[in-house]
Amino acid sequence: MKNVSIKNFLVAMTAAATLGTAGTSYAEDPIRIGGMYILSGSAATYGEFAQRGIDLAVGEINSSGGILGRQVEMIYEDTQGKASVAIQAARKLAYSEGVDALVGLDSSGVAQGLVPTIPALQKPLIITHAATPDVTGNLCNAFTYRISVNVAQNMKAAALVASETDATNWTTIGPDYAFGHQSWEFFGNYLKDIKPDVNLMSETNFPRFGAEDFTPFIDRVMDSDAEGVLISVWGGDLVNFIRQANNRGFFEKDLEVMFTVGAATEVLTALGDEMPEGVHLSTRYWYEAYDNDMNARFVKAYLDAYGNPPSYNAQGAYAAIYAYKQAMEAAGTTDGPAVAKALSGMTMESQNGTVTFRKGDNQAMVSPNWGVSGPMHPEHGIRTLTNLQIFDGEEVARTIEETGCKL
Amino acid sequence: MKTKVLMAILAAVIAGLIAVPWIASYFYVFIFTEILILGLFAASFNLIFGYTGMLSFGHAAFFGIGAYAMALILIHLEWPFLVSLLVSMGASALLALVIGFLSVRLNEVYFAMLTLAFGMMVFAIAYQWRSVTNGSDGLAGFTLGSFGLGLDLTLANPSVYYHVVLGIVAIASIVLYLICRSSFGMTLKAIRQNPERVSFAGLNVRTYRLVAFVIGGTFAGLTGGLIAPFLRVASPELLHWSMSAEPILMAILGGTGYFLGPFIGAAAFVLLETVITTYTQAWMLVLGIILAVMVIFFRKGLLGTVIDWWMEVKK
Repeated sequence: MKNVSIKNFLVAMTAAATLGTAGTSYAEDPIRIGGMYILSGSAATYGEFAQRGIDLAVGEINSSGGILGRQVEMIYEDTQGKASVAIQAARKLAYSEGVDALVGLDSSGVAQGLVPTIPALQKPLIITHAATPDVTGNLCNAFTYRISVNVAQNMKAAALVASETDATNWTTIGPDYAFGHQSWEFFGNYLKDIKPDVNLMSETNFPRFGAEDFTPFIDRVMDSDAEGVLISVWGGDLVNFIRQANNRGFFEKDLEVMFTVGAATEVLTALGDEMPEGVHLSTRYWYEAYDNDMNARFVKAYLDAYGNPPSYNAQGAYAAIYAYKQAMEAAGTTDGPAVAKALSGMTMESQNGTVTFRKGDNQAMVSPNWGVSGPMHPEHGIRTLTNLQIFDGEEVARTIEETGCKL
Repeated sequence: MKTKVLMAILAAVIAGLIAVPWIASYFYVFIFTEILILGLFAASFNLIFGYTGMLSFGHAAFFGIGAYAMALILIHLEWPFLVSLLVSMGASALLALVIGFLSVRLNEVYFAMLTLAFGMMVFAIAYQWRSVTNGSDGLAGFTLGSFGLGLDLTLANPSVYYHVVLGIVAIASIVLYLICRSSFGMTLKAIRQNPERVSFAGLNVRTYRLVAFVIGGTFAGLTGGLIAPFLRVASPELLHWSMSAEPILMAILGGTGYFLGPFIGAAAFVLLETVITTYTQAWMLVLGIILAVMVIFFRKGLLGTVIDWWMEVKK
């Protein structure tokens, strides 16, 4: 009898030990990068577009010799748009998969939860989409970088656009989490600074993220005195929102409508000509906004591979892989702290020009794009952007003091 | 002889649990931390369900309130960990007293529905009260300070935290076990089997049920206080009714008739989730099939089935 239990115990121990060593990596193995995106639910296209961007970058890098002579391999985890899931995913990637670096994050709420846990993992993280100012602000740390535009930068630009319109009464419709609330807060503060006579209405609208029905919120804005409305709904929600708004005649009303992430090509592709003309649309990167070799190559490769134009999420994810290439080669190693250090203050060529990760808060100085939706593109099947404005990333950024980041 | 073997297995499991940080990778340290916390959570639920026979659908309220209490203290007051844990337990005990007082007077589906309604009320408050709870994003970004009792432990180190959780869960489990084995625990079992008879024996069934409910809620608050520093976030999901369903599933999976059943169920639940989500996103589908099979063919759960088999075959 005793033998049986000891044998069982040994089997269990062996199994545990085998499982335990499964994550060890060796020097000549490929460099592993962990990607954390929303891969299920109403915003899953964002994860998919990011993966496309990464696949292009990894393909290019691997066919031209890799990084430090090693191939690059991606491992993805679904964050489900939840902070607790993302934190577990990051631990799994770092400790079980043995990744050298992390990229990802689509949601501000996820970023706020995950970022404080990153230093413990000792792996660098480049955020390619999530826009909450906090992660390059009061929650900043030496391992977390962001290559995409943040809410503060984009809302400064939005306020500049809004101040040019005749609208005085402003309200918002945004998702009921960090992103929606912070978008309105920053927009309101900046707009009030530029144009003190605006009225920021107290009736705001924050539908749940992933809500199917936006009509009560649409009706409320249509019935109010609002002359301008800032809409930070995004992803699959935004597609639903615009279809429902079309049905209600929302866009026929005399309103200045500003979509803070409306020119995401995920959304434009899904909507086609259902996206109305004449509304203000923003994006962290518009594929036709930049005239440089890298952008031309990227847009062409993306169109050839997937048949539709790249989104800002694909761009950020693509650029992040190149950022790691440059940082790892500068550091001469894939060691987490060394790579994180190499990223600090690093200047790189990206699709949206020369980009620097600012030393004080690790935020990349990238330029928000705003435009007005125009006629359909003859080939790409999406709305074009007219009156395109490319704001200077540094000019619309908060100062280091304003960010509250202490590195 | 058989008892001795079972004891030997139990001792081996405990030795194995203590050794996890030395024999397995960090990832498994996280997995086992989660198993221990959720195991005690499910065991606290089983006091209400398996022992007293009340199917609560609002157990996550106590789990979540414990997590929020811990997060709020770590953010605003930075009290020692042990003190914060006691506050977590106190907060959930108070909440359990209020919800229990209003709920235990009802039976069966009415009790289940009422606890579900109260649970979702607590969820709604956490979801809406942005200024305190940070709404749907939850509370994050807190740091772990001292442990308390003058002990110098680095709680931020996952291995240290694992051992802290193991110690606390072990002590709490022993206390819970003693409660279950006491005459009070026996009375609870009697109430499950025949409340009228207990009532005729002169005992106030409602008081017993309320006390069981509060004890279960208090231990759930303890596990909530442990999960917040582990997840590094206290979010409304911890209070959602789907979180209330997890201890039900774990208890049924492991076996509601045994004290250790819910722990086995939690281990199976977490390990299956980890393995299955590696291959497919449809983890809930697989879980549903497993549960259906368990309920139809193995009503005593994993632990009950194994023990039955052991007693039958190895005579």
